[in-house]
Amino acid sequence: MQAQLNGPVMYAICGGIIFAVALICVIFLVRAYRAGLAIGMDKKKMDLAITSSATFSLLPSVGILLGVIALSGSLGIPLPWLRLSVIGALHYETQVAEAAAEAVGLPGLSASAMTAQAFVTIALVMGVCIMWGMVFSIIFNRSYTKKLKNPSPKKTGGGLMSEFADTAMTAMFIGLVSAYIGSYIGGLVSGQGLFTFRGDWMPLVAVFFSGAAMAGFTWLVEKKKIEWLEGFSVAGSMLVGMASVVLAGLMF
Amino acid sequence: MTSEEKNSMFEKYEAGTHRLGMILSSVTLVLLLSAPFLMGAVLGTMPDLGAAGKAFLAIGLVYLVSCIAEYLIYVPILGSGGSYLAFITGNLINMKIPCAMNARDIVGAKTGTPENEIIATLSIATSSLVTIVVLALGVLLLIPLQPILQQPALQPAFDYVVPALFGAMAYKYYRKHMHIAVWPLLVMSVLFMLVPSLESATSFMIIPSGALAIGIAYLYYRRGKKKGGPL
Repeated sequence: MQAQLNGPVMYAICGGIIFAVALICVIFLVRAYRAGLAIGMDKKKMDLAITSSATFSLLPSVGILLGVIALSGSLGIPLPWLRLSVIGALHYETQVAEAAAEAVGLPGLSASAMTAQAFVTIALVMGVCIMWGMVFSIIFNRSYTKKLKNPSPKKTGGGLMSEFADTAMTAMFIGLVSAYIGSYIGGLVSGQGLFTFRGDWMPLVAVFFSGAAMAGFTWLVEKKKIEWLEGFSVAGSMLVGMASVVLAGLMF
Repeated sequence: MTSEEKNSMFEKYEAGTHRLGMILSSVTLVLLLSAPFLMGAVLGTMPDLGAAGKAFLAIGLVYLVSCIAEYLIYVPILGSGGSYLAFITGNLINMKIPCAMNARDIVGAKTGTPENEIIATLSIATSSLVTIVVLALGVLLLIPLQPILQQPALQPAFDYVVPALFGAMAYKYYRKHMHIAVWPLLVMSVLFMLVPSLESATSFMIIPSGALAIGIAYLYYRRGKKKGGPL
């Protein structure tokens, strides 16, 4: 079965779709860059946004690649490659694939039990479960972004809300980060039984050391004026956080 | 260039972005949904639609709700171009959103401005291309690379890539807003301690956590306004 799942036609199907998505990215990139220049944006700022985004994405992309490797054992290489390049989300894929495998009667995501029909059904479920963001974009993006630009004064408080929008976005992100860090703290305290403090503490090691590294980068950028470091600060901090987990694992 | 000319040029760009975004998202959707059937044709079978429906009811509905929340929350951050691209390429929470926020902060673009729209699109497109290239190279090199990447000693590093990301982002966002951050962090920690099973629904907990942070930020904002000082 694995030989069929890794066959050249499978690579051609998945590679073709990924290539189309890469082209879409290039089209959006070039249009945005040209529009930025046309409205008088600083070229250096746009270049900085591109380089910082590229460095930022390198490490998480390697993590996503590991997701491909992890799924390749049961689903072959081409399908996980497609799933994690187009709409995929590293955290969701295994869960959805597992549920789909169970629905088609397999004991779970197992290479030895995989059949051709189970495989294509899993592929369909993986696509359908996570396509909704794209569907909503197609249907609602035009009207939703228009509404965001021109909020109804009656409903939103007009100027007050637009002044507050920037802070609200930062607060939303604080909420996002807090939910995850809260889950790591809760996992440590009650992950292996309520208030036993025997849960996984490694996520907090990663959080602590990557946060400390970020503080170091910020100090170098702001106090020592090494501004070029800014584009590498998040990726560098993540690397420190990830390395700290490896070291902690070796030490304890 | 006058501000009117700039606005008119940007409006044209945005209208084009919506047109292009709708067409290209539709094309991607068709390609994505037809792939399992194409693969089935190659393998001499077709998807079991009954089982697919059952699996969708078991787990797909959860993602549908999650997608609605993600859509409402992330479009204001990503702008129109960025959101079309982000929803095509995925990996929003673990990469695209922090990446766009990071680029926006480095450049100093403000929410809702044309600059923010352009920077978010550049950031998401670049991030997506980097992932596509890394994955393509990785797949090409998968056989020789697999033994190195799957070294048992290295595995924990990649298992904790997301906490490492949130540690860095926490310092970035908490340090100037600790008075806001302390509340969602405290509430979420206590909640996850009391109901450990919530861990599998962390992405849903972003909604109450974000709402709490926005509510507290708003209270400080109002108080700052009354005193005439900053937040």
